[in-house]
Amino acid sequence: MTEQKKTVSIHVPVLARVEGEGALDLRIDDGAITELRLRIFEPPRFFEKFLEGRHYTEIPDMVARICGICPVAYQVTAAQALEKLFGVELDPWAHAMRRVFYCGEWIQSHSLHIHLLAAPDFFGCNNAIELARIAPDEVRRGLRIQALGNELMDLFGARSVHPVGVRIGGFHAAPSLSRIQALREKLRTALPEAEALIRWAASIPVPQDDQAFISVALQHPADYAIERGDIAASDGLHIAAEAFDDHFAEVHEPHSTALFSRYHGQPYLVGPLARLNLNHARLPARVNALLAESGLLLPSRNLFHSLVARAIEILLALHEALRLLDAYRVPDSPWVPVTPRAGITTGCTEAPRGLLWHRYEMDAAGCVVNARIVPPTSQNQGRIEEDLRLSLLNFGLDHPDDALRLHCEKVIRNYDPCISCATHFLRMNVERS
Amino acid sequence: MSRVRILGIGSPSGDDQAGWLVVDALAAHGVHARDDVVIDKLDRPGVQLISLLENADWVILVDAMQSDDPPGHVQRFDRKDWPAYIEGLSSHGLGVLDALLLARELGKLPARLDLYGIAIGAATPGEPAQSAVMAAATQLARRIVGDLTPPVRQA
Repeated sequence: MTEQKKTVSIHVPVLARVEGEGALDLRIDDGAITELRLRIFEPPRFFEKFLEGRHYTEIPDMVARICGICPVAYQVTAAQALEKLFGVELDPWAHAMRRVFYCGEWIQSHSLHIHLLAAPDFFGCNNAIELARIAPDEVRRGLRIQALGNELMDLFGARSVHPVGVRIGGFHAAPSLSRIQALREKLRTALPEAEALIRWAASIPVPQDDQAFISVALQHPADYAIERGDIAASDGLHIAAEAFDDHFAEVHEPHSTALFSRYHGQPYLVGPLARLNLNHARLPARVNALLAESGLLLPSRNLFHSLVARAIEILLALHEALRLLDAYRVPDSPWVPVTPRAGITTGCTEAPRGLLWHRYEMDAAGCVVNARIVPPTSQNQGRIEEDLRLSLLNFGLDHPDDALRLHCEKVIRNYDPCISCATHFLRMNVERS
Repeated sequence: MSRVRILGIGSPSGDDQAGWLVVDALAAHGVHARDDVVIDKLDRPGVQLISLLENADWVILVDAMQSDDPPGHVQRFDRKDWPAYIEGLSSHGLGVLDALLLARELGKLPARLDLYGIAIGAATPGEPAQSAVMAAATQLARRIVGDLTPPVRQA
């Protein structure tokens, strides 16, 4: 047993090469955590100001620039909000293809996170290159699945990074039937690969953890909510997107320029595990069978199950894309005309990392008066801090600094926040006294 | 006949256009995409770079590099000269070298890979590249034209 009477101060001044900047401050006095602050500086905040005065036709392309990994989430959420305000009735084709487009993003983002960011942790690897040495077939498979997600995004967005396909009222263009047929074959081929991915993910030993938290995700009666639905919480809340502000509050914390979101004053979880906890009953039968086979019991209170949750959502997204593309037809027009009107509107969808909420005030000319965007990372920020505190106590505070740092990184990566994009981002200056 | 893939990586920001400028200079020398030659201008391809290396026997990749060399200095990197891996992988910022190292581990590198870096100065959004970088791009394009075999080179 090591000496308990000591002070450990871990300060991570700058997290480099990430979307925005972040830092972690951890101080342990006499065996107790006296300070734990995760500071995130989220670029999406700036976009809200950039959007002011912009015409509605520019919004989808502008918000796509918020994130290089989940641009579809921002585009579809903005489109949903503005189409609601303008009274646009989307063609059923556009409704379905928005979901397919979104499935592409889930597939690529989840596969990237599993294989490049999260999995190396559980194999004692420093990065995906080391993981590729011991599990080359799995990494190759992951990259194939990820590439297929990109292909889906490219199909409807003209490119997978910062796609430009979405317009208010539908899409700018519709892919040809021959391109869809070719992709359907690839999606079908990927199904057994995605099933194997779930089995692999479920076989990876993860730390045992048990924490009480509130899960928040969209819910829809017809399907596993992605691009539409009401906001639901594991304590029974069920509200429309317009009522977000009645239950969720963003607060400034002095140590972060990112806003912290609170649900009735508490931290909460958004993202794949929250979705699976709330919506697993709406998984297609085959995906449900793989979930059962994985042995994952839901609702889960162990955030380390996020990796297998992502794998399950990849299979779901493949099934959904195939189901919706099986009935594909080239529409007469991929979009319907739009007439702007003044007012306030909200939109809400499930980005790969969790609930994404937009609010726009528009003028009669169709220009943005003001905008608010609540991304999943800032919603999870409070939960990450809470998780770090509980996980570190569970892990034991007397481990060497490197072990504490690695454990903190593992915990943070479960949430796939934008700051997790650099897998080993915690460069720590440690002071002991 | 070899399947050749020429990849110019850059952005619209000042000297960072170096890779794109090489592609433009190749076009000026009559080298265009055709059945056995794929030419792409890329902007931060990330992990997708790995899939672009597939189905090619010979990949020529040009990117801007920050180094102590003066802007416009062209360096060719042999595989053994690739700098050691030092940064963590990032889904937002997976660099060209990171992707190439991962591709190497996965056995996805082409039989021949010519990796060129052009030393740059400022990468200022909206600004043109400085003349030394433009000249280097033209010079490197000439070298690549010389490397390409006659069946690949446009008449």
